Amino acid sequence: MTDPSRRPVQRDWLSKTTAGLVLGAVLAIACSGLFSRLNAAMPLAVRGQLAMWMVPPIWLGVLSGVYFFSSGVRAWLWLGAAGAFITGVLYVL
Amino acid sequence: MRSEFVRIYKAVHTWTGIVAGMALFIAFYAGALTVFKEPLAAWASPPVAGSVVPLAETPKLIAGVLAADPVTARDFTIHITDAEHVPGRMGWQVRDPDADDHDESSVRHYVGTLDAAGLARIEASHPSQLASFIDVLHRVVGLPVDSDPNRWVMGLVAALYALALVSGVVVLLPSLVKDFFALRLGKNLKRMWLDAHNVVGIVSLPFHLVMALTAVVFAFHDGIYVVQDKFVHDGKWGTAFQRQQPAAVAPGRDPAGMLSPLELIARARAFAPGFEPTMLQYQQITGPRAVVRVWGKDAAAVSPRARGGFAALDPYTGKVINSDFLPGRQSTPSLFVSSFFALHMAAFGGTAVQWMYFLLGLAGAWLFYSGNLLWVESRRRKRSRDGGELPVQRRDVRLLASATVGVCIGCMCGISLTIVGAKWAYGLVGDANAWLLPVYYASFFGCIAWAFLRGAAKAAVHLLWLAAAATLAIPLTSCLAAVAPSLNMWVHTSLSSLGVDITACVGAVAFGWMAKATARRVRQGVPDSVWSEGQAPCLQGSAPGVGVQAK
Repeated sequence: MTDPSRRPVQRDWLSKTTAGLVLGAVLAIACSGLFSRLNAAMPLAVRGQLAMWMVPPIWLGVLSGVYFFSSGVRAWLWLGAAGAFITGVLYVL
Repeated sequence: MRSEFVRIYKAVHTWTGIVAGMALFIAFYAGALTVFKEPLAAWASPPVAGSVVPLAETPKLIAGVLAADPVTARDFTIHITDAEHVPGRMGWQVRDPDADDHDESSVRHYVGTLDAAGLARIEASHPSQLASFIDVLHRVVGLPVDSDPNRWVMGLVAALYALALVSGVVVLLPSLVKDFFALRLGKNLKRMWLDAHNVVGIVSLPFHLVMALTAVVFAFHDGIYVVQDKFVHDGKWGTAFQRQQPAAVAPGRDPAGMLSPLELIARARAFAPGFEPTMLQYQQITGPRAVVRVWGKDAAAVSPRARGGFAALDPYTGKVINSDFLPGRQSTPSLFVSSFFALHMAAFGGTAVQWMYFLLGLAGAWLFYSGNLLWVESRRRKRSRDGGELPVQRRDVRLLASATVGVCIGCMCGISLTIVGAKWAYGLVGDANAWLLPVYYASFFGCIAWAFLRGAAKAAVHLLWLAAAATLAIPLTSCLAAVAPSLNMWVHTSLSSLGVDITACVGAVAFGWMAKATARRVRQGVPDSVWSEGQAPCLQGSAPGVGVQAK
């Protein structure tokens, strides 16, 4: 097996950027859903505002971190898995 | 960190910065001025004719105006504090239903006054839109109208800005300890500019992260709410802000039964000591949901909005209905939401924080300007060491240098000339607001054209002198107004209005200093640079004067 830290980093501008844009949005909405679900006692007016405010930091955080993946495929796989996991948790809760 | 990542993030930083940099310069320069929106509005407001109705006589004024125009009961404001930009004691606005919510230019303003006989009179007022105009430039990165599509452009710029911030930090991280406290002044100008760019960027990073993320929210919140309503709130978001049905109160209440403004102010003060009311906003006072919002500020607390916060009172009983937006009295989750607004709009900590934001805003504008300069410098063609022929700089480099000089200095010239123009136009043509937009864009595009025609080096000197002159014209206009009343201009002597004049004086000196420093660089700096007078303007292929320089 090759040492993962030795694997060459591929630039993959298009696939990494689209992964950050698309899956970053999915993750952000899913996380805001989780926040909303876990704070159901909070009045909807303020809970909804906080849930909205957390979307851009998560979305842009994912988008700006996505270039640390060693390839675009890995970005799609990892972020897709994370998005699926949080969405799944939302369904179970 | 692996060097591959640094290289990748350097590319991200370079291209997001180049695409967003000039728009961000405008947003930050105009935004720094918008911190002092009220003083600017005061400076530009013509004196109010006649005397302001005393607060104690306000109930009579309200009753008289409502009798003359019952529709006013829907929403009107009683101004408590007297300031130059407050046109009268009682004011209200009529919005064009077709116009965008954020479009202030289509709003018609009215004031109610009492004449000598004690009868109510309604007059249209035309407050100066200078401060709003600069605010719009700030909100939509230099575009003329605050509309949905323009805000989306701004949001895109803000998203690129967030990417540029993160990538800039990633690029700097490996050498942060070595570079952070180093400002290497000296012969290597690029090193010095890079060190300064890094120091300003890192020191003000929290401010910039706040600005980038809040600006994205301001642009895209409507869209995010729609998506969340579908996937998170199960379609119930629309009901979140519906107020609970109040206890059965007979509709058609008589406004004569309302508590007087002085009593309402006293109730709000008793409820929240430290809260300084500035105005009373009455809404639906003849309906079952009559409410008066007592707006004000509390320097010791976070304000939910730029103009402060409010306590919602029942105007008939004086009971506090809602303190969700009252500075210092908010629930923790509401305070979180308010703090995002306050952190963007400097609505906390009083005047000291406003000055801090003003300086951080100007430093931010400089950050984007210096970023473009570094892009230009990195692509410089240097003369070979043995002193061969002077190289012609790349065309794209000359174009970007000219664009940077034209857009950035053009924006500063344009804003100063618009401020000056707001006062002159009122004296000369009457409807000064109609002249704000043409004056700004004529000077802005004029400066850009000049920068492309004459080349970045020479134009930078000319335009900086123009900026100095235009900015100096702000206090000079006030002086002229004081000595020549026939010009139909005015000078206010309140601290906030004089503050505009004094700040403009300092700004003019700063521009003059920059112009002199730039002129020195253009004459005496290295000749193999776009910042040398020997270089061709970017619209020409060859470089006149190159041969002379090379000899």
